Amino acid sequence: MSDFLQLGSPNERPRAPRLDELDLKFSDQALAELDELYSHYPDKKSCILPGLWIAQREYGGYLNGEAIAEVAYHLKRSYAEVEGVATFYSMYNTVHAVGKHMIEVCTCLSCQVCGAYPVAEYLKKKLGVGFGETTEDGVFTLHEVECLNACDRAPVLQVGSSYHGPVDEKSIDALLENLRAQEESTVIQMANDIVKVQTGPLKSK
Amino acid sequence: MAEYKLLLEHSDDTAYRTLDGYRKKGGYKALEKAVKMERQAIIDEVKASGLRGRGGAGFPTWIKWNGLPKEKVGKKHYVVCNADEGEPGTFKDKQLMEETPFLLVEGMTIAGFATQGDAGFIYIRGEFIDAAKALRAAIDEAYAAGLLGKNILGSGRDFDLYIHMGAGSYECGEESALMSSLMGERGMPRLKFPHAPLPTISGLWDSPTLINNVETYTCVPFIVNKGGEWYQTLGAATKNSRGTKIFSVSGHVNKPGNYEIEFGTTLNELLEMSGGMKGGKLKACVPGGSSVPIIDAEMCGRAVLGYEEMSDVKSMVGSGGCMFLNEHTCIVSFIWRTAMFYAQESCGKCTPCREGTKWMLQIMERIVAGNGQPGDKELLLEVCSQIDGRSFCGLGDAAAWPVAAAIRVFPEEFDYFIANGKSMVKSSKDLMLVP
Repeated sequence: MSDFLQLGSPNERPRAPRLDELDLKFSDQALAELDELYSHYPDKKSCILPGLWIAQREYGGYLNGEAIAEVAYHLKRSYAEVEGVATFYSMYNTVHAVGKHMIEVCTCLSCQVCGAYPVAEYLKKKLGVGFGETTEDGVFTLHEVECLNACDRAPVLQVGSSYHGPVDEKSIDALLENLRAQEESTVIQMANDIVKVQTGPLKSK
Repeated sequence: MAEYKLLLEHSDDTAYRTLDGYRKKGGYKALEKAVKMERQAIIDEVKASGLRGRGGAGFPTWIKWNGLPKEKVGKKHYVVCNADEGEPGTFKDKQLMEETPFLLVEGMTIAGFATQGDAGFIYIRGEFIDAAKALRAAIDEAYAAGLLGKNILGSGRDFDLYIHMGAGSYECGEESALMSSLMGERGMPRLKFPHAPLPTISGLWDSPTLINNVETYTCVPFIVNKGGEWYQTLGAATKNSRGTKIFSVSGHVNKPGNYEIEFGTTLNELLEMSGGMKGGKLKACVPGGSSVPIIDAEMCGRAVLGYEEMSDVKSMVGSGGCMFLNEHTCIVSFIWRTAMFYAQESCGKCTPCREGTKWMLQIMERIVAGNGQPGDKELLLEVCSQIDGRSFCGLGDAAAWPVAAAIRVFPEEFDYFIANGKSMVKSSKDLMLVP
């Protein structure tokens, strides 16, 4: 079986922390965002997905046991329920901590036939890591993803909120250089962007 | 037939993404008209237009709209937009949301008026952040102008619109899974009609829910504005497909991109629009997203794009993700990647799909690794037949069809790969379709 499938079955699950030991980390802004989200849905359970996005931002891009527990605590759901949801979706980083930038290579059909595997090989060689691994300096995590639905730009990469494609070795070099120089983590930026499009007051006339 | 730009007419115009620019091009005329119309009259227009769901299944849209209770029984009504575009090869919803966000907002507001919707949710896949930002800007502008929120255009009716972001799951493009996900659960499908009530009776939070694709909603302003009678003249040459459809063309073509055509256009014409083949002759085409059966060059030559017409070549229109493959493509490797996609994305609820997709992948992996065993082709077909029709949602069927179709259309490639441990296509090794 390919390595690819193993990614979904981590050896190390985040341990469930005891709720009375919980060190709550959500900022005031995050709590305000949660409050606003409650008004969109008839129940708090529906806020699990947006709540996890907030947690992914607040906890620096990785949903460890504490992050999941804090979401469960605020939404008054069980830890198991929230963990079950978080681990189902591939964009929540529950398996392992990720680097500052996550490079997601699409190798699905259109990209496959337009040369995604050579691109992926180049990235692996260049970064010295395999899929699902982080570089030693903690800057890049490389991931193989399923169709990003930008097949007109195949082969395509996603880094944070933006798509890059079609890419070749030269544009990858330039991209990596730009990312190295970038102070802010695109992983956290992306979680923030996702929270921002869902929250913020809707002004009626 | 040439391109027919209805939805994408102003897609290049950046001003069209602002409320002012949108209004200058006739935007919100449809909503102004709909405000004065009876609810049933709007639904009748949609019925007259012959609009069918653009997400893949082609279900008549008006039946859904008509299915919500005509009188409210103490429950809110919801309008949901399925913007979880995940079908490999498709990228039309992405462009529609990024470049014509107001069409979607207006279409959903009209749908809300027709079905007494209280609130709408746009479920966008997590990766589409640019699309979500464009939509969010449009929603903000619409709120500020009184086109969303309370007492829209002085009609006394309210409609709220929210964005809900997904988090990376192909399965959530299936409507019952999407609703589960919106309600804060794992994105797994639910029991369907007739074993359970339709979403129009009991959907989100057990309330009546209307759920349509992005492209379907964006057609609505045109239908209300110009009338269903006008809309149904588009594509009149086909049996039962009306209007325009956006096809996302990718793969080995010179100009990949979205092309909007009238139903009844041929696949060859679509290929011409996208600049013709690149790097070799046409070998095969997946005409409607990875889930639909693959067809060979001969079938491509006689394929007419229409829901019924495509069954003449044993394929489907699907979501419109059209991938053209040239002669240097190894179909076996291509199908291996398809099998990997479904194995990865199966949600794990139903045994035939959860186990079957992994078995198919295992068999395909050993074939592409050069360790194929005699009888593997028959074994694959056997697994396919055991998945097809045996799971809650269409993902299982969609995993089985492309494999079964590829074996039907290109049996010699599978035989050769299994017997010789290498691809029949000489240059496929250079192309590196398998890592």
